[in-house]
Amino acid sequence: MAVRRGPVAGRRDPGKQRILGMTIGMLAAFVLLVGQLWYLQVLEGARLQELSDKNRIRVRPAAAPRGVLFDRNGLPLVDNRPAFTLSLIPREIDNREKVLGRLSVLLKMPYLELDDALGRVSSDSLMPVRVRRGLTLVEVARVEEWKLELPGVIVEVEPQRLYPTSRFAAHLLGYVREANDEQLKQGRYRRGDMVGQSGLERLLDQYLRGSDGGERIEVDAMGRPIRVIQHTEPNPGAQVVTTVDRRIQEAAERAMEGHAGAVVVMDPRDGDVLAMVSTPAFALDQFTGTIGRAAWVQLVRDPSHPMLNRTVQSQYAPGSVFKIVVAAAGLQETTLTPVDRVYCNGQFHLGNWTFNDWKEGGHGTVDLHRAIVQSCNVYFYQAGLKIGIDTIARYAKAFGLGAPTGIDLPGEKVGLIPGLHRGKRWSYSGDTVNLSIGQGALLVTPMQVARMMSAVANGGVLFKPRLVQRVERADGQLLYSDPGLVNGHLALSPMVWAFLKQSLLDVVNEGTGAEARIPGIDIAGKTGTAQMIANSRAERGQDHAWFASFAPVQDPQYVVVVLVERGGKGGHIAAPIARQIYNAIFLEKVASAGVSG
Amino acid sequence: MFYIDRRLLENVDWLLLATAGGALSLGALTLANLTVSRAAGGLVLRQLLWIGIGAVALVIVASFDYRTLVRAAPVFYLLGILGLVAVFAIGRSVSGARRWIPVGPFTVQPAELFKLAFVLMIVWVLTSRWAQPVGKAALGLAAAVFAVPFVLIVKQPDLGTALVLLPVLALLLVGAGIRLRLLGGLGLAGLSVMPLVWFVLKDYQRERFLVYLDPYRDPLGTAYNVIQAKIAIGSGQLLGKGIAGATQSRLAFLPERHTDFIFAVFAETWGFVGCLLLIVCYAILVTRGFEIAATAREPLGRLVAIGATALLATQTLVNLGMVTGLLPIVGIPLPMMSYGGSSMMVSMMALGLLLSVRMRQFA
Repeated sequence: MAVRRGPVAGRRDPGKQRILGMTIGMLAAFVLLVGQLWYLQVLEGARLQELSDKNRIRVRPAAAPRGVLFDRNGLPLVDNRPAFTLSLIPREIDNREKVLGRLSVLLKMPYLELDDALGRVSSDSLMPVRVRRGLTLVEVARVEEWKLELPGVIVEVEPQRLYPTSRFAAHLLGYVREANDEQLKQGRYRRGDMVGQSGLERLLDQYLRGSDGGERIEVDAMGRPIRVIQHTEPNPGAQVVTTVDRRIQEAAERAMEGHAGAVVVMDPRDGDVLAMVSTPAFALDQFTGTIGRAAWVQLVRDPSHPMLNRTVQSQYAPGSVFKIVVAAAGLQETTLTPVDRVYCNGQFHLGNWTFNDWKEGGHGTVDLHRAIVQSCNVYFYQAGLKIGIDTIARYAKAFGLGAPTGIDLPGEKVGLIPGLHRGKRWSYSGDTVNLSIGQGALLVTPMQVARMMSAVANGGVLFKPRLVQRVERADGQLLYSDPGLVNGHLALSPMVWAFLKQSLLDVVNEGTGAEARIPGIDIAGKTGTAQMIANSRAERGQDHAWFASFAPVQDPQYVVVVLVERGGKGGHIAAPIARQIYNAIFLEKVASAGVSG
Repeated sequence: MFYIDRRLLENVDWLLLATAGGALSLGALTLANLTVSRAAGGLVLRQLLWIGIGAVALVIVASFDYRTLVRAAPVFYLLGILGLVAVFAIGRSVSGARRWIPVGPFTVQPAELFKLAFVLMIVWVLTSRWAQPVGKAALGLAAAVFAVPFVLIVKQPDLGTALVLLPVLALLLVGAGIRLRLLGGLGLAGLSVMPLVWFVLKDYQRERFLVYLDPYRDPLGTAYNVIQAKIAIGSGQLLGKGIAGATQSRLAFLPERHTDFIFAVFAETWGFVGCLLLIVCYAILVTRGFEIAATAREPLGRLVAIGATALLATQTLVNLGMVTGLLPIVGIPLPMMSYGGSSMMVSMMALGLLLSVRMRQFA
């Protein structure tokens, strides 16, 4: 092919200049590239390095199961079950608005709630933020379905508290709930952590919580795991052996059904709390998920105060139960003798005041034994005046009233002994009269009464009520143990103890506590009917009903104290409840022993 | 014709070959890194094979007198157009684009090979008597020669390759002495119709352009490449992560990492320092190419050298610009580094043309 090539340009050859221009242009482009590389690799390098790590590292947390609480016989009081929890891993979320928006639509959660939860942690954090507990299977499926569109959103399997029944031993065990703002401020917890908020769960939280484990996995672009970079086993919380007897606790709760009040069952030999019931109780399991604000407010504002642990946080006038203290004081100080008699016509006059006996027409001629058995007020009005307010107060204090029992539960109330804590000189005899039958300003908690009855049963030793025997790790290592503690002693003559025991036995056998009687078992007890307001009537259900007791009298092993708020007369309301509990303790024990033996 | 005289051998440009060799070996090394953990080590072997074949092609092209090649340009050009048409008839479709035709055990990308024929053809046109002096007439002829393959390639669709032809054409026109005003006016006219081009673009091409403007527009879709490439390059930092540490590449976060995005792999592995070395290699190569053009004995040699250099330089710069996020994504391989036979052959033969001009500048 013939091609004629002509000269390039007629002008003075500008070719070299043009080529120089091209070269410079190209080199400038290369310099620009180097600049971009400098920007990416040196200036932005660290940030992009992080993004590259984020690309390849995924965190899969494994939540530690909370420690299990056992009763004294090794039966579980609370257990764990796996539950689904929705968690966000801030660092893996690339587009916050988009991911949260989608999630909020999928699960019908308020966007602001999600945004708020995420806003409280660093957006670089690899630790999961748990935003919603107790997902249903449908919700889990929905999240998994959209998984690819929801980077940084994971569904964790997190062990959650499982309660035998939703209200079982609610106040004793306590509830577990996400850490509140105040707890977060202390810095010991992270947002979304489940923290024991009351009862033993709170007391032993540091042992029960364990530590979460998890995996850091290197993944490829498709999210397929390539290798595990780091693997940490979750460290389960330590297990707790309590002093509680699940069987007795259950029986006591059954017996209290329908009543508001408290039951304490205690071993008088060592102060072990065998059962602790406060009714009405709250549902423990409503906290395991994410409790709504409205539900929480409703619970706190409930006029029946289900959150209150009435065994230690409520104070009541002890009523006639206090007569034990007055009798002990009078006998020990020899102000009273068993043979002194008083005629009771049902009324007692002091100045312009008239004090009535609970029984119209009175009890006739009574001695101390009979006054206890029949719970004669008139006798004790006179006895109280004779003994004197200071002495009664001193003995009340010696029996552990008006002072904390030292139990390891938060918020214990102290009670009040009027003679000890007065602001001015005690001058009104009328108050002394009221005090001598356990009325007036005198206030006690059911736990204090149980401790007092234990002292009567064991001859004067006041134990700190014990709830926890020991805390041990799964491998058996002991983390904590409570050997028990004597924090008071009351020295009375053996004659006085014997007299009190005999009288209290007769209260059940032939007196006001007859409704607690179980043939074949010697139960000693004292009824009480505490007036809430002046001149209230037990029949109208305005009085608190007490029954404080122990059994068997010869070798006391169980103290049972029952309080029913606005129950009416102690003998009619509280005593039968105690009887039911004793039934469970003795008869069912015999039955089960028979079966196993 | 195959006779290579001693004098020619004495004028072989070793600097050019050394820089090209540097880029080639760095490319092969990077590919080897990528495949070290996988069974498909065959990739490296194939690339080495292509380098070998390419080297032979280089020697053959260099041994020809470039004047002979330019004289035969219309034949190459017609063959090339035939190949481009064949793509539509017997082409193999890969991810929505028909770019390859099977030839024996290989597949050939006619558009790649056509680039060389294009350069020669334009040189042929510009040095033909009809084009003298290089003015509007030459421009019209060149435009016709450009338009046919451009449309064919765009239809494949392979916008990137088609667009690369444009700066090559422009540089050849400049080198041929066209009045800059004329070219500048044309450029401005072209820019003014750019908005219209928007309507001709396919959806994915529009999306690529939008992503270029805003990479986070669609981080898991179109922008994925851009973002992952930036992460890979940036995370290399100053000194690189080393062969084992290049997680972006090794864990397959980076798409197209053997081919168009191989520079990102290299950057992640060797860091800024390594990149600087590589870019210096390319810059020397391009500078040397233009120097060969400047010192060519006559205008035809000059134009051939400009065309070959422009081809290599444009592809290199567009590829690097795209991988580093300076330019929109257009699928263009990095000469001498990206995996792929057709691209390798073209790069080697372009080098061969440069050598051919160089060796004969004193003859």
